[in-house]
Amino acid sequence: MRTYELIFVVDPRVSDEEVVTMTNEYKQMIAHGGSEITSEENWGRRKLAYPIEKLTEGKYVLLNIQSEGGKTSLPEVEHRMRQNDKILRYLTVRTDEDLKRAARRKWSAKPDGGVNVTEPAGDEDLDTGEEI
Amino acid sequence: MARPRKVFFRRRKVCKFCADKIDYIDYKDVKLLQQFIPERSKILPRRISGTCARHQRFLQQAIKRARHLAMIPFTTD
Repeated sequence: MRTYELIFVVDPRVSDEEVVTMTNEYKQMIAHGGSEITSEENWGRRKLAYPIEKLTEGKYVLLNIQSEGGKTSLPEVEHRMRQNDKILRYLTVRTDEDLKRAARRKWSAKPDGGVNVTEPAGDEDLDTGEEI
Repeated sequence: MARPRKVFFRRRKVCKFCADKIDYIDYKDVKLLQQFIPERSKILPRRISGTCARHQRFLQQAIKRARHLAMIPFTTD
């Protein structure tokens, strides 16, 4: 099973209702491709860290997606987003592998409860007093 | 950090993520990422932050994703 996160930023001049209809459209596409939307977050209007197309704000929408088989319609969804000029940015990330890896680590770290030693002991004299 | 005068006293830097047992660095967690981007918005190097190689790699990836989504600036000017 794979999980994905799809996040996109919409032009703030687009009304909230329209954002919802847009989101539904994409959700439908994803569902058609045999994937399931596990959760959805609408972050609403947010300030952008830098202007995109002279806009200083954007509306963020996040979709969590779960898919069973190998095939999804995500490439098509991305393609559509690229063509939609109301979407300033989008990003799809596959999260299952990273989350699984993180979970595994937590398990192995728990029993002894000890702090992982990250630095070998002989490292001390190596870091010269560099400061900004 | 005080300038050491030939004394063996330097605060030992510990990887924040190892200490807090964070193993999935979320690009959406702007607050967390912000600790690793100083004024110029560059990624804080390992030698200064003390982050271990493994976590620095994840951190770097997360910061770059967040930048793409305009949650974090590329540069400040």
